[in-house]
Amino acid sequence: MPDRGDTVNANPEHALAQALRALPDAAPQPDLWPELAQALASRRKPRAWHYAIPLALAAGLACALLLPRGTLQLAQPETTPHETIAASAPDPAASHEATSANADELDNLHQRSQTLERWIAAVAARAPQDSRDLMAAVEMEDLIGLVDVQLGAVHDHNDALSLWRQRVALLEDLATIRGSAFAIASNDNEAARAAATSLDSIN
Amino acid sequence: MTSASFQIDVPDTVLARARRGESGALEQIYRAFERPSYTLALRMLGNADSARETVQDAMLHLLERIGQFRGDAPFWGWLRQIVVNQALMRLRRERGVSFEELPDDDDAPSSAPAPWAVAEARHLEHALERLPALTRSVLWLFHVEEYTHQEIATMTGKSVSFSKSQVLRGGIRLRALLERDTLDQSLPRNTMLDTQQEAATCLTAATQ
Repeated sequence: MPDRGDTVNANPEHALAQALRALPDAAPQPDLWPELAQALASRRKPRAWHYAIPLALAAGLACALLLPRGTLQLAQPETTPHETIAASAPDPAASHEATSANADELDNLHQRSQTLERWIAAVAARAPQDSRDLMAAVEMEDLIGLVDVQLGAVHDHNDALSLWRQRVALLEDLATIRGSAFAIASNDNEAARAAATSLDSIN
Repeated sequence: MTSASFQIDVPDTVLARARRGESGALEQIYRAFERPSYTLALRMLGNADSARETVQDAMLHLLERIGQFRGDAPFWGWLRQIVVNQALMRLRRERGVSFEELPDDDDAPSSAPAPWAVAEARHLEHALERLPALTRSVLWLFHVEEYTHQEIATMTGKSVSFSKSQVLRGGIRLRALLERDTLDQSLPRNTMLDTQQEAATCLTAATQ
């Protein structure tokens, strides 16, 4: 935690942390479990809710074309079939090449992840979300949170690479959801026209 | 409540049973994290009903997706992140796109001894409740949950310097609120005595 010391040491009132931690904890009243167990049981059945994310993604797809293409298409991983083959070959030279390719891809994924996060943060602050998009966005954020927790514990390079790919893919989904709300909020008519044009071109 | 209270290791056997959907294991996990989750939500939101709903939403998210958890990272870290995300989402939803923030005039430093070192827990809780929601959340996430400023900035969609300033100014505001409480505690007692004396004087005059 590299930036903790800045505030804690600079502020002589760091005893505040101790005082806050010493506050008594609390439990929800009445007990939440019976309600939760019931909700879990009912959610095990097929639910229309499961379609919320695909629907939100579909709705955002056309609007996503309005996103700054340059921003979202930075640092594409340059993994080629040759590199994939090299990665599984036992030859040390080829192995080294593959490791280097993996390192490059990891760097690209880091960059892309940062770019997407900045873009999402900027858009999230400027665009209201409807409740369906909000649910879908939170779903994505939770999944990204899970990947982050796993990234914090992973030691194997290949596992890390796989998790970073997942993270970027989830961020792209999140950007699509956030982007659709932003486009609609910034210019309803233009967004609708562009969406219609985009859908025509897809069809 | 301390950040350590969230750091509960869930046995692999319980996790495996929960992944299979066994109700007993799901309840075991819920019971283990019920208090730290609720306390975190309550401190961030400052409202018991909202905190309750947040914990319910977070637990539903968690328990439904427990099969996706690989088990090589702390389970509590995942849950805590979900609770924080849910609470922040609720704050955004309830308070609009932008959060209420502290005004700049709270930046005056004080050299007086920190009142929270001697304040009763209920007074500190009361003062905490009166902070703006985002300031309170940032203060709690930084001091108690030990998130870094960078992590807080990412979660709230704000800058690192924003997180730092909220921690600093939140502390200053909390100090002012506690000091005002201390003054208020002494004032009503004197006022009450004066009022009783006045009443006694009036009664004496009336009976004469």
